[in-house]
Amino acid sequence: MNNEKAVVIDPISGLSPADPTALMDFAREMTEEVIPKIVKVVEERRLRATETRLWQLKC
Amino acid sequence: MYTWIPLTTAADLTKLKDFVTPEYKPEQVADKLINGISNAVKGLLIEHGYVDKDYRSTYYNFYSKKGQKYNADCVRLHFFDETVDFDKTYLRLSCKDKELHDHYFGYMVLRPTGIATIGRSVLTPDVRSGATGSIIAAYHYVHLLGYTLRVQGFPSMDQHVDISVCAHVACWSILRHYSVDQSNYREHLVHDITLMAQQFNPGGLVPSRGLELSHAERVFQQAGTFPMNIARRDGDVTDPSFYRQLIAYVESGFPLFAAMHKRKHAIAVIGCAWRAPIDEVGAGMRYAWDEVKSLVVVDDNYLPYLSISRQGGSPYAIEDIDDFIVALPEKIYYPADAVDGLAPTLFRLGTVVGLPPQDETIIRYFISTGSAFRRFVRERESEFDTKLFEVIMALPYAQYVWVVEISTGAQWASGQIAARAVLDATASLRDPVPLWLFHSRARALIFDRRTVGSDVTKSVSVLELTGMEQTALTCMTQNLRPTQSK
Repeated sequence: MNNEKAVVIDPISGLSPADPTALMDFAREMTEEVIPKIVKVVEERRLRATETRLWQLKC
Repeated sequence: MYTWIPLTTAADLTKLKDFVTPEYKPEQVADKLINGISNAVKGLLIEHGYVDKDYRSTYYNFYSKKGQKYNADCVRLHFFDETVDFDKTYLRLSCKDKELHDHYFGYMVLRPTGIATIGRSVLTPDVRSGATGSIIAAYHYVHLLGYTLRVQGFPSMDQHVDISVCAHVACWSILRHYSVDQSNYREHLVHDITLMAQQFNPGGLVPSRGLELSHAERVFQQAGTFPMNIARRDGDVTDPSFYRQLIAYVESGFPLFAAMHKRKHAIAVIGCAWRAPIDEVGAGMRYAWDEVKSLVVVDDNYLPYLSISRQGGSPYAIEDIDDFIVALPEKIYYPADAVDGLAPTLFRLGTVVGLPPQDETIIRYFISTGSAFRRFVRERESEFDTKLFEVIMALPYAQYVWVVEISTGAQWASGQIAARAVLDATASLRDPVPLWLFHSRARALIFDRRTVGSDVTKSVSVLELTGMEQTALTCMTQNLRPTQSK
């Protein structure tokens, strides 16, 4: 895997490590706030879809 | 047998009844055409005795078993512009530039069924009165008198009434488009669709009693797609994330099977028209959906490319759509609901990437393939720093990606963007950083996703971009064809 990684990314010059602080803030907000909301919304839509599946369409 | 009718105006279509027998209801068809197509249509060629595979599928399985004697053949109408002439002796179509398909507007099959006689049709939206915006379309090839003609459009037909209903037709339209547009989907005839909806052959007139939404889902599943049923929140007519997803899938090139519960009606949503750009300083962050003026739909009660407004329009409005099914290919695991939740969070990386103020931006997201994204960038090499270009070509995307574009109001008006994020469409719902790439004109973040469980802070690289400050950075519009009214 390391060799494969080197083939794809490393030969491109000018890349440098990103500031970890902003990335950690992003990942933290995703994990603690955004993903729980997404999971809730997806579950709500799934439950709603179980009701709509019975709708009659005939016009 | 072929009959040519030159048209001075669309009203001349009333002559249709002189050449087509009553079982095809030529007067009703002419009325629909007179009110529905533009005066750019100047020539009509009637192809008698046409064998239509979709009608034949219903003829063999239904009409031929009835007491009344139905004709096995159809009539096909072909529409041309003013440059095309017809030689009756040699049955020759001609035009000055010899590029017949540039002067061909499409065809319409008429079924000998006495009611709802408009069968399989593919017309260009350019001659449809009132058609606006951009639509999902594919090239359909037509064999006529030894010529191979070409028309870009979306399939449509009237429902049979006695064997199929609106939901069957919406499924048929979408699947016929898939079969023409993508080689990995086969063609399904009308009667196939009525059978695919059920676990067993219900026989006789049962299909005309209607479908449940779950049956439409089953049709798409049987056709080899992976249908996703997205329902609007109960009692929430606005439900913005529902409509944001709807427009995202349409912009991704997926026609939608849309249901209207109160009307018990189904249509195919195939395009949209944007409102005129407006300067809404202080209005807060907006989404592409907020900029939509109308949707373009295929409804089996009307000629194709009906435009419906957001609220209160006739015969119905976008707000009447409360559920849709998108027939997705495999390998799109990250749902639009997740992209909708994630997109505003990208501004947490604003200081790193360099983004405009969040409350001055418009967010647009859609699905693309990695190869289509690379092709888009390839065609615009000059817009990109060469290092970023190299990164985009080198990243090992899965087949499908979600693209999130961020633009200011002014950029939106000119088809430009400030930043673009490329998300992994195969990501898990719980993936905290489902990104491949996030770049503006100043900086790019490159995410190495290939090691599962890697520390995000150590698997991200930054690239300073040069030469992109003043260049165009074009928004990616690949899947919809603009209507050019004639």
